[in-house]
Amino acid sequence: MIRTGITGIDEMLGSGIPRGTRVVFSLEPGVEGRMFMMKTIASALKEKKNACIVSPHCTGRVFLSECSDILATDISNLDGKAVILDSSVRESINSREKRVSSRKQAWKNLIEDTVQQHSIDVLFVYFDLLYEDLGLSKALDLLPSGGQKDRITTVVEHLNLEGDSLISRFASENIFDLIISIHSAFTLVPFFNFFTLEYVSWARMPRRSIPYSITEGNIRLFIPKIIITGPLASGKSTFVSHASDSGISVDRGDLDGYRTTVAMDLGWLHFRGFDITIFGTPGQPRFDPIIPQLVKNAMGIILLLDATRPDSLVRAKELMDLAHAEKLPLVIAVNKSDLPHQMDEAEIRNILNLRDDIPIFFISALKRSDVHYVVESMVDRITRHPY
Amino acid sequence: MYTYKTGISLIDEVKGGISPGSNILILAPSMSSGEQLGYAIMRPHEGEYALVLTTVMRSIDLMDFFSSEQLNRDAIGVIDSVTKLSTPDVSDTTQIKYVSSPSDLTGIGIKFSSLVESIFNGEFPPSDQALFPPPIRFYIDSLTTLLMYRKLEVLYQFLHVITSKLKKMEAIGIYILNNESFDERTLSLMKQLMNVVIEVKSEQDGEFLRIRGVPGVPQEWVRFRTHKGTLELVS
Repeated sequence: MIRTGITGIDEMLGSGIPRGTRVVFSLEPGVEGRMFMMKTIASALKEKKNACIVSPHCTGRVFLSECSDILATDISNLDGKAVILDSSVRESINSREKRVSSRKQAWKNLIEDTVQQHSIDVLFVYFDLLYEDLGLSKALDLLPSGGQKDRITTVVEHLNLEGDSLISRFASENIFDLIISIHSAFTLVPFFNFFTLEYVSWARMPRRSIPYSITEGNIRLFIPKIIITGPLASGKSTFVSHASDSGISVDRGDLDGYRTTVAMDLGWLHFRGFDITIFGTPGQPRFDPIIPQLVKNAMGIILLLDATRPDSLVRAKELMDLAHAEKLPLVIAVNKSDLPHQMDEAEIRNILNLRDDIPIFFISALKRSDVHYVVESMVDRITRHPY
Repeated sequence: MYTYKTGISLIDEVKGGISPGSNILILAPSMSSGEQLGYAIMRPHEGEYALVLTTVMRSIDLMDFFSSEQLNRDAIGVIDSVTKLSTPDVSDTTQIKYVSSPSDLTGIGIKFSSLVESIFNGEFPPSDQALFPPPIRFYIDSLTTLLMYRKLEVLYQFLHVITSKLKKMEAIGIYILNNESFDERTLSLMKQLMNVVIEVKSEQDGEFLRIRGVPGVPQEWVRFRTHKGTLELVS
């Protein structure tokens, strides 16, 4: 087993990549996704695995320098041994061998010899130039097979210029055991990067997409905005406060002595490997004009209801419509359900006109465990949503 | 809608410039002024930015060239695919990003996105006349080198992605290709991605250009010269 070194991914994969499997990181052009491969290389070397790195696009020195820039780690000082087959090897093979089949054989012999001679545990391959030089099937033939495949884990990075068709082919022909595609949601500029877990052969796992950010040599799975909305006094500020590790609430006392949110609540939390920002909307109707602005670029919406106030369901429906909640992952949390109440799930579904797959949780926002359960469900829905 | 001035009076006076999302291919033989023509079109005007992918000159020399040509260096970002070949440990700055070699399309794409993001985030030195979205001119100098490192089909796919992004960003692309070094199929495939083609030829009495793809603009050969980063048509 080797780890990718990316918190969250290893957890989802059941502690890492099993020995003898084949993994591909498929990069969309323009997306900073090189760190996935580099983190996996560093992680394998830290675990004292011996690695062969095929990097035909640059010299070994440039490769080490790029690793150092991106990871802030000198991988040549880690515990495992790294053998690099670099651009000089490619140049030598291409100038020596004129036929594609001879070039393929030269690469195959070299990789097999290196694996044997250095007791290689993991083969890392930067694939694009091999694909270009040899064609897809011959380049894939270079990856360990037969008895060797059981012993050696293979990790491939590929710049995917062909889009979904290539990924479908990889998945349908069982060429790789784990396929992770890396994308960017691009508007005028890259809005956020995300990866999609396309296929895992060793576990039953739905296809899911997860945003990430890169900070200080690490990949942090990232949810830039979850909106908490709901009618007045449904407990939004309490929910945000109990969900967050830190936050700000802009509350003012009204004439009746109640506290009410006048702009928004803001909270940050680190939850199961995710950095999450939560925005709570005000519930007073006079603030309705700002809700569409707050919802802009949100990745999910939690609608909070007050179990003791069935009359507020109509207002909740108004807020759902204002926030265009039907277009985003949506979770309903019915707060104050520890108090006497008559509101039931069927009534909520009926008045809010909810689809059957939208979950409804009866909670108390005063209990952190309840709040975290709702957040967990939201995160799960975000990771399954095709943005 | 914003319009990009090309510095070529034939286009700017008749059409007011070119539209966002346009791609201009310069077909120029070696030893001609095609490259200078590219830099003249790339020249960022007030409130604009320019990005250059250089496969020919090191960024340090390119920045000196920009100074000598009186281009606004503060508004220019460079993707340098040359320097790392000789100086592997060189590190990125806000305006200059390095990739391992011209074959490294993964790196080129990433550094392009990174520079665009820096411009949108206001990390380049501020301009007196900020516009939104910031107008960006992207110049690839040159397709000739990229085609020596990568296969035509691969480069075509890559440029297809880049031109789509330029369109979304409301930017323009400028590309230079040595038309003497490649066959008709290569030229025709590259032209498919372009809206405007400017052909360049060198003759004893000077340099000439011919514009294709801009309706209303005459398609005859016109003599030109470049001076201090600007272009002048000579009647």
